Amino acid sequence: MLVTQFIIRRLVFSIFLLFGVSVIVFALVNAVGNPIEILLAERPGISQQAIDQMTAYYGLDQPATTRYLMWAGNLLQGDFGTSIIYNQPVWQMMTSWGLETLKIQVPGILIALALATAMAVTAAMRQYSRVDFGVMASAMLGQSLPGFFVGILLILIFSYWLGIFPSYGAYSMRSPLWGSHLLDALWHMVLPVAMLTFFNTAALTLLMRSNLVDILRHDFVTAARASGLPERRIIYGHALRNALIPVLTYLSLLFGLMLGTAPVTETVFTWPGVGYLYINAIQQLDYPVILGVTMAIAVMLVVVTLLTDIAYVLIDPRIRLD
Amino acid sequence: MTGPLPFPARDLLEVRGLQKLYPVSRRGMFRRHRIGEIRAVDDISFSVARGQTLGLVGESGCGKSTTARAILHLIDASGGEVRLGGQDLLQTLRGPDRKAELAMRRRVQYVFQDPYLSLNPRWTIAQTLSEPLRVHDLLPRPAWRDRVIELLDLVGLEPHHADRYPHEFSGGQRQRVGIARALAVDPELLILDEPVSSLDVSVRAQILNLLARLQAELGLTYLFISHDLSSVRFLSTRVAVMYLGKIVEIADVDRLFEAPRHPYSRALLSAIPVPDPDRPSARNTLLGEIPSAMNMPAACRFHTRCPRASAVCKAHEPPMEPGPQGSALACHHPLEPPAP
Ligand SMILES: Nc1ncnc2c1ncn2[C@@H]1O[C@H](COP(=O)(O)OP(=O)(O)OP(=O)(O)O)[C@@H](O)[C@H]1O
Ligand code: SF4
Ligand SMILES: [Mg+2]
Repeated sequence: MLVTQFIIRRLVFSIFLLFGVSVIVFALVNAVGNPIEILLAERPGISQQAIDQMTAYYGLDQPATTRYLMWAGNLLQGDFGTSIIYNQPVWQMMTSWGLETLKIQVPGILIALALATAMAVTAAMRQYSRVDFGVMASAMLGQSLPGFFVGILLILIFSYWLGIFPSYGAYSMRSPLWGSHLLDALWHMVLPVAMLTFFNTAALTLLMRSNLVDILRHDFVTAARASGLPERRIIYGHALRNALIPVLTYLSLLFGLMLGTAPVTETVFTWPGVGYLYINAIQQLDYPVILGVTMAIAVMLVVVTLLTDIAYVLIDPRIRLD
Repeated sequence: MTGPLPFPARDLLEVRGLQKLYPVSRRGMFRRHRIGEIRAVDDISFSVARGQTLGLVGESGCGKSTTARAILHLIDASGGEVRLGGQDLLQTLRGPDRKAELAMRRRVQYVFQDPYLSLNPRWTIAQTLSEPLRVHDLLPRPAWRDRVIELLDLVGLEPHHADRYPHEFSGGQRQRVGIARALAVDPELLILDEPVSSLDVSVRAQILNLLARLQAELGLTYLFISHDLSSVRFLSTRVAVMYLGKIVEIADVDRLFEAPRHPYSRALLSAIPVPDPDRPSARNTLLGEIPSAMNMPAACRFHTRCPRASAVCKAHEPPMEPGPQGSALACHHPLEPPAP
């Protein structure tokens, strides 16, 4: 099978998958009930007429299938609808808040990858030594601590006690720190990025170390040693590339699930990202936002999986496309 | 090589008292306790003359691969000395002189049992064959391609194989690549660790023929490890028989196959169990299990399975005694020497 043929097949499959997801998500949100009624019921002063008007405005008086078709049709044209709470286009909100999410997630993953590589290589080169044991133990500890706990600990130490970094937000409310918007933004990123890096590093280190140890046992590594290749070059030239394949899957999951894990970090640091937006939308039954973000998560996962599969085929000559 | 050697007729590879012990420890509550050791290779000595082949045979787990890897310093020997053309091989490979180490590595190369595991699955054959050229800085990069083609030709592969990946080859072709990689640096000695054991019988013969041809053409010296006796007989000049980390007998291949003197050699080499002339009831099949490397029998290690074992065998370890024509034997009650 040709690579393009493979990609087309996967694309068609992805479209069906997204269709299924959209039906399920829509049905779930729909099952909660009419958000206008629920929201406005808490305000006794509002007339039934106003409720009916808004219900009609958002198309909530139509049967569910009609509404699904309307929503899906709009979605296909790139129209995610309008937030009930903020009265802004959902797409616009997702992109601007999404940028804030990327701002901490991407560095959190990339820094972790670099750190984990260094740690895993160090550990694998001295298998079962004290260094190896130390790296493994701290990675396991890091992985078993709950996410919010580390975030709160960081805030406690670096904001509350030491007062070095801000504990919430992406920018200063009033004037930027040191009069520079860039420095201000970077300074705010430090703690959330640190928290994300912490978790990603722990998981990636464990994964890479076990892959490396596994590959270093292979005869082709011994063959490289027998030919006189220094250990460091064996690790970077032979072992690491082979060890990175399973890591790639994990990385793609990290990227794909970024929006799914963002709520914890962004709640802890009151970070104006999609995760924060999502949590708020759920609390306030802002259904166009809930639907939009959920679909965005699904699309990201599908795209990332597709890209990973393609990358696999390109990296590993043994993978057959059938 | 430069300068006259101290012994003109010296063998190319000389191994003296080679030993590899693996400590066995158990993790206690606070620290590890050493509870014993596995004597994987226990004080073995042998030599291989230039242009000849020494076959190393023995049951699985007797220490053949450990011997091979210790010689190449892929694992650190616990004791002993290895000389190549009179030069201290282990000392050179232990460093710190990297130039000397590389020069030594070029002279001795290793061929692995499983040619699939020994080739990087994500490298093309050309990449695999170029690696030694790069490590040893033997040729300018533009000349690598020609050398790769030349090596492929040497082992009976086609130029168009260069850009393929290991998974596109059959087992026999992969082993040809493994051999080509070893030859890339123009070695003098090849350590062949069961190079045909993973191959089909028909392919086995082709690879053995290839090895024989290469030896004749390039004047190579082989240490040929195998438990396939017919391959050993085909390729070897002399044969060393190993049992539980010890060499028990070394002799010329025909002598050993026709008239083994050590009871273990006899048992190992006899395809059909032959009645022992001295003890008519005993058959030369191997009795019982191989003892575990952890609980090595005292004195002669073979006494738990030996049909000729006596009290002295359980009390004293038989020393390795040199015999005629460079043979050697370690047994208190050897079988009769062949009639002259
Ligand atoms: N890293 C190690 N730690 C402990 N024991 C080891 C180690 N490597 C090998 N051994 C032991 O040393 C002994 C010799 O192993 P070796 O691989 O040299 O045997 P072999 O003769 O090559 O066997 P085979 O025919 O199966 O390849 C075995 O008992 C094995 O269990
Ligand atoms: S020394 Fe004794 S036990 Fe050992 S092989 Fe010889 S006869 Fe058998
Ligand atoms: Mg072996």
